[in-house]
Amino acid sequence: MPESTFGLRRYSENKIVNLADGVQLVSFLVLAAMMIGAAIGVVLLSNIVYSAFLLALVFISMSGMYILLNAGFVAAAQILIYVGAVNVLILFGIMLVNKRQDFVPLKNAWISQVATAGVCLGLFALLSTMVLATPWAISSLTPIGDEAIIEIGKHFFSDYLLPFELASILLLMALIGAIVLARRDYLPDEILGRDRPSEQPSALTLPERPRELISGGK
Amino acid sequence: MDFANLAAQLNAGTILPEGIVIVTLLVVLVGDLIIGRASGRWIPYVTIAGLLGAIGALYFQWDHSDSIAFLGSFNGDALSIVFRGVIALSAAVTTLITVRYVEQSGTPLAEFLVILMTATLGGMFLSGADELVMVFVSLETLSISSYLLTGYMKRDPRSNEAALKYLLIGAASSAIFLYGVSLLYGLSGGETRLSQITAAILSSTGDQSIGAVIALVFVIAGIAFKIAAVPFHQWTPDVYEGSPTPVVAFLSVGSKAAGFALAIRLLVNAFPTVSEQWHFVLTALALLSMVLGNVVALAQTSMKRMLAYSSIAQAGFVMIGLVIGTDAGYASMVFYLLVYLFMNLGGFACVILFTLRTGTDEISEYSGLYQKDPLLTLCLSLCLLSLGGIPPLAGFFGKIYLFWAGWQAGAYTLVLVGLFTSVISIYYYIRVVKMMVVKEPEEMSEAVKNYPPIRWNLSGMRPLQVGLVICLVATTFAGILSNPLFNLANSSVTRTQFLQTPIAAIARPVAQIESSADQL
Repeated sequence: MPESTFGLRRYSENKIVNLADGVQLVSFLVLAAMMIGAAIGVVLLSNIVYSAFLLALVFISMSGMYILLNAGFVAAAQILIYVGAVNVLILFGIMLVNKRQDFVPLKNAWISQVATAGVCLGLFALLSTMVLATPWAISSLTPIGDEAIIEIGKHFFSDYLLPFELASILLLMALIGAIVLARRDYLPDEILGRDRPSEQPSALTLPERPRELISGGK
Repeated sequence: MDFANLAAQLNAGTILPEGIVIVTLLVVLVGDLIIGRASGRWIPYVTIAGLLGAIGALYFQWDHSDSIAFLGSFNGDALSIVFRGVIALSAAVTTLITVRYVEQSGTPLAEFLVILMTATLGGMFLSGADELVMVFVSLETLSISSYLLTGYMKRDPRSNEAALKYLLIGAASSAIFLYGVSLLYGLSGGETRLSQITAAILSSTGDQSIGAVIALVFVIAGIAFKIAAVPFHQWTPDVYEGSPTPVVAFLSVGSKAAGFALAIRLLVNAFPTVSEQWHFVLTALALLSMVLGNVVALAQTSMKRMLAYSSIAQAGFVMIGLVIGTDAGYASMVFYLLVYLFMNLGGFACVILFTLRTGTDEISEYSGLYQKDPLLTLCLSLCLLSLGGIPPLAGFFGKIYLFWAGWQAGAYTLVLVGLFTSVISIYYYIRVVKMMVVKEPEEMSEAVKNYPPIRWNLSGMRPLQVGLVICLVATTFAGILSNPLFNLANSSVTRTQFLQTPIAAIARPVAQIESSADQL
């Protein structure tokens, strides 16, 4: 039982704890290697489907990290939301688009790649300096482990009640917006024909004419 | 904690205005669902009534002393009331000028208004949010509704492009903002309430830390995206050009006001330890916005793009008030936003009307409009001149107050650059006015020659006319009769707790604790 293994760490300083620390260290190293390897794969592989599946692997190893930190609920939420929803959505997107386009290598692409690498490394250096230099206020409370769900529920219905309720409005609106964007509209031609002196080709467009750059190209 | 006790602690009456907006939203949504397309006749009026009802509820909350609600998630103090009022009012005027535009493009009106009201709701909650989670959820409510509104004309490639661009840049800036906020959470040892973050940071990590500076930079990136300050403005011209014009009107007033409310509350409350740094960064952003916005606006040929750059520049002017950080500075900011609401929405109402009648928004097509449509010409001229800051109009008094407050506080560079760039701005505003008024009849543009007869009795035209006249009257007289607005702006600042308590007072007890800890 992994939970009791990690739970033991808090109680005393005998040999079992050292063993648990060892397990923790090994699993951390495995998860970290998995995460970094998969993340590099996401960026470097040219087949986008592989990238999407590797992204799922990144998320799963991240949820493993949360389990190591005694945050079981966050780990479950991570898998449910990122792997179950976000990543599946990405895969759907890839499959629905399904556009085979040959990749034309750009000239001098290495300049932008070097620039990107420079910016990323700089940002990484800055952030890691910051993480190491800042005296973080680390909470002295012991992690509550599986009782976290109860505690989170209490917060949702006391001091985080308002954001929790506002999120329901946000979801309602996202639902409506998704329907508006995705549904098939009937085109009320009679509205257009009646008032518009110069009839435009299609409804559901901006009333402004496109600029001449676009229309002159035809 | 039993239920009755909890209900009393929540102080839920503070969000009554938002509650009214939510109820209106649901009424519009369900009403449209039951009745169908015929509901388009009454839906805009229900929306406007709901938004005005929310403003009325805000008026009655002005004297409430107990402003903290929902155990610290929300703070309905005087400053938030003014900003929520500005956002609700801008949504109400936007609804007036929306009806005809949406009907003529053949898109459903009810959904448009529902999403607009959700955006308003997000903005209103953002103005009063006093806690990091609340700040982020309300910011996302505002942003996601804005993306949806931007892409509402879904068969137009320009609208699609605008929505996609706005979504991608917006999502990136939200992520950066969230990273900054998470750093704040870590630095303060797990504190999310804005009013307590500073004390927690001081007691745990000390006065100055690189972490606070990085958190500040990330948070400013998120806010500057919302208010479209240079160099976070790249989305603005394309999004403004491709979105439906009423949406642009709301984005340039309501969404910006929400961004400024967030900026004041977050920066003053959570970053007093790096106060010099944020003043420096915001000064740079204000200078860049004023210069770049005004100079690039000179070269625009499309009215919507010109107003986009003009709104970038206006955001730069408003930031002067934020940077100097005195009472007069904040009050002048609120005052300027109040008059900016009317003059900018008036300008957009005119652009919408012209577009609906002629189907174009090129500046050159406006030439000779005076002969065909004097009311439109008058309204657009006054709004543009007011935006430029020509004396008897509202914008002049707004700018004078901003610059006066800046001069008092010793921000000479900002004020001088502001004065200089407003002179530049007058040039491009007057160019449009000259185009409309001065041209001889034979120089009239094609669009104006074919100008349709003016018919206000078409469906949806009447609200547009009402909106136009309201903005015209407010822009003309809000300057001369500015005393009520002036008092409103001033008292909103003097009655707001967190602007009145000097930062030193928050910092002092903590410093004492630290020094006593050192002695031990």
